[in-house]
Amino acid sequence: MNPTTSPKDAAAPATPAPDYGAESIQKLEGIEAVRKRPGMYIGDTMTYGLHKLVYEVVDNSVDEALAGHCTDIEVRIQVDGSLSVQDNGRGIPVGPHSQFPEKDTLEVVLTELHAGAKFGGGGYKVSGGLHGVGVTCVNFLSEWFRVRVQRNGKVYEQSYRQGVPESKVQETGTTDRRGTLVWFKPDPTVMEDVSFNFDTLSQRLRELAFLNAGLRIHVVDDRTGKSHEFKFDGGIVSFVEYLNKTKAAIHDKPIHITTERDGVVLELAMQWNDGYDERIFTFANNINTHEGGSHLSGLKAALTRTINSYAEKSGAWKDLKETPTGEDAREGLAAVISVKLPNPQFEGQTKTKLGNSEIKGLVEQMVNEQMGSFLEESPNVAKKIVAKIGDAARARIAARKARETVRRKGVLEGGGLPGKLADCQSRDPSESELYIVEGDSAGGSAKQGRDRRNQAILPLRGKILNVEKARFEKMLTSAEIVTLITALGTGIGKEDYQPDKARYHRIILMTDADVDGSHIRTLLLTFFYRQMPELLERGYLYIAQPPLYKVTRQKKEMYVKDQGALDDYLLTQATEHSRVTTPGGELGGSDLKALLNKVQTYQDRLGRLERRRDPRVLDALVQAARVDADTLLDEAKLTAEMEKMRAYMQARYPDAIPRLEMQVLADPEHQRKKLHVRTDVNGGMKESVLDFGFLTSPDYRELVGLRDTFAQLGKVPYTLHLENGDVTCFSVQELLEAVRRDAQRGLNIQRYKGLGEMNPEQLWDTTMNPSTRTLLQVRVEDAVDTDEIFSLLMGEAVEPRREFIERNALDVQNLDI
Amino acid sequence: MPSPHCPNCKKPVAPRKENPAFPFCSARCRTLDLGRWLGEEYRMPVRQAEEEEDERPGHAPGRDDFGET
Repeated sequence: MNPTTSPKDAAAPATPAPDYGAESIQKLEGIEAVRKRPGMYIGDTMTYGLHKLVYEVVDNSVDEALAGHCTDIEVRIQVDGSLSVQDNGRGIPVGPHSQFPEKDTLEVVLTELHAGAKFGGGGYKVSGGLHGVGVTCVNFLSEWFRVRVQRNGKVYEQSYRQGVPESKVQETGTTDRRGTLVWFKPDPTVMEDVSFNFDTLSQRLRELAFLNAGLRIHVVDDRTGKSHEFKFDGGIVSFVEYLNKTKAAIHDKPIHITTERDGVVLELAMQWNDGYDERIFTFANNINTHEGGSHLSGLKAALTRTINSYAEKSGAWKDLKETPTGEDAREGLAAVISVKLPNPQFEGQTKTKLGNSEIKGLVEQMVNEQMGSFLEESPNVAKKIVAKIGDAARARIAARKARETVRRKGVLEGGGLPGKLADCQSRDPSESELYIVEGDSAGGSAKQGRDRRNQAILPLRGKILNVEKARFEKMLTSAEIVTLITALGTGIGKEDYQPDKARYHRIILMTDADVDGSHIRTLLLTFFYRQMPELLERGYLYIAQPPLYKVTRQKKEMYVKDQGALDDYLLTQATEHSRVTTPGGELGGSDLKALLNKVQTYQDRLGRLERRRDPRVLDALVQAARVDADTLLDEAKLTAEMEKMRAYMQARYPDAIPRLEMQVLADPEHQRKKLHVRTDVNGGMKESVLDFGFLTSPDYRELVGLRDTFAQLGKVPYTLHLENGDVTCFSVQELLEAVRRDAQRGLNIQRYKGLGEMNPEQLWDTTMNPSTRTLLQVRVEDAVDTDEIFSLLMGEAVEPRREFIERNALDVQNLDI
Repeated sequence: MPSPHCPNCKKPVAPRKENPAFPFCSARCRTLDLGRWLGEEYRMPVRQAEEEEDERPGHAPGRDDFGET
């Protein structure tokens, strides 16, 4: 029975029997019609039409299954490129036919167009085949075609060549099985494509198996050995689960509806996933109605209506300004609707659109009722679905608003650039810079001070809102955001955003060095990171570094970037004309400056360690004692060193002394001793632990290294020679202090807060002149941090917010450009 | 690249390489975010009395000071 064993036992095709008579001429006319214009019957002669031939045959078997007589179908692509379909249905009827006395019924079915049992409503209640042209067409378009029917204990066979029978139907044997085998090879003289595609067939056969719960369809490709077996007891519920296989469903089980009215059977399975695609498969009598039709219209109308009315009652969409549309309702929906009806009408270009207009109302009614009661009975699922649809509507509204806002503002500006933008002359983005400047007055200075050839200025202010009586919030207005987008030229949003169109390859944020400035900067960086990440990734985004200090000396003004630069400036100034005499020799100029820098480093390290250990104790440890990890093994030596520290502290830090306690204690964890020192700090006592861990730390090692450098100067005191006299210093720290004091003489140091305080020239010199300015390039990692800070700021808890801002510096890469 | 959660829906986010909507999980979430920017919903808290800050003695902030309190 297996088709693979059949080629040999089927009769070899021979020339047509000459005695076939007059009526064969008539039949030839039918054959000729089909072979002349195959497209009219099967769509086309390419891949689509070729596979249509298979479906026509399979549909007959599925009809048997629909009628409850068939459970297994095997579709096999044979090695010679022919194809066989075997089912275990009742078998095509054999025997005399009332209208065609000269032909067997089987031959009538295979040679008469419109001769199937699907007409007249007798054989099948519902059917999807092409109104009887199906298998006849396949026969007419085949190089050869064989049929074998097992029915009523007997086997019947017949073969055809190009639609012409090679003999009458023959009874060839007996059997205890039943079914029909159709085996054909498409005729390359009429079909342009004769090579069956396993995957194409598999897809449709899988669909058929889903649509006919429990039906087993086996598809085999003997050319490659590939095969699939499809059997889904869950039917279209399994189909929907299959569609959502790689998605996250928002409710566990697909909604399943089966109902019947006026002779129309409806089956529907639906499940929403968290994606955004709409995938609805529609079928009428098992035909995949790719073009939809009345059943789909009915389903859509019913879905929108039932869900809207449910959501309205539940109040889930209270905040929505407009009702979700049908498209919102179907976002992320995977659904399969299958209707079975007595007289399907197929329309459309590929005849895959259900035309029966009465079906729309019928399906709509049935779905309304069933879906309505489902939602009432499953509030948990209903809630999730309704929430999902609400989100879809919100997103759609937001997208539209964004588009409208940006486009409308663009039109208001005359379609050109924003009026607030002072553009540069260059049109070459790679050399053009856009300064986004905080505030109108700074914007004014920047406009005057810039190099207008390649520097553009866009002032932004932000807006402050009084949200409660004592609470204010700052934001960028939508007008400002639109202005920014227009100036950049990139557009925004899914449809309009084109990063390649950026008009500037350096976008420089220039904000004040205060909280307001940092807020605007955070807002802008977050906006860029979220909505224009490509600009960040390409390294287009920079932060300007306006100076923090203005130093005036004898009417000469100087701008200093930050604290470090100020310290450096002061030391340079002071050491230029000073010298120091020590037992180790005399130092001046840059040597003196280098020494003092080291002293500064020493002080900085002590300051950094302050939280855990009193800097005075550490200073005493480093300067007066000679202690390392080994010293901790020798209690006597450690005690002696401890006493040296005590003496040092008494001499130098009397304020730490009143309740000074020093103890050598056991440190069993390291099998050593350790030192505990308690000192007076701001009225309380602070304990500093000097143990193995600390004495082996890099910090301690660095401090000791610096001390050794200082020791090369020899014993204090040192004499500092300044322009207006000598100063005696008893430590390197005192030396640093004295030099600093001297440096500040005659200097006026002002802290700069606002960009607006600078005049155009100063702004150019300090912040905008490419040969002297410093720009920080923003990297993506910085923006990630910024976004986190931003998210936190947008959060509810006020206290943690503040703490977070203090701890998180915007760590941007230093880049001199 | 960190930031494993979508700024909009807080769902985990696929890495940039395979996710054009990064740092969001989807184009949809990016759109919702854009809607918030244009709807002026993103606001930073401003301190109550900034003026006092000017009179406060203390260190001058370097660039590490992201914000001061």
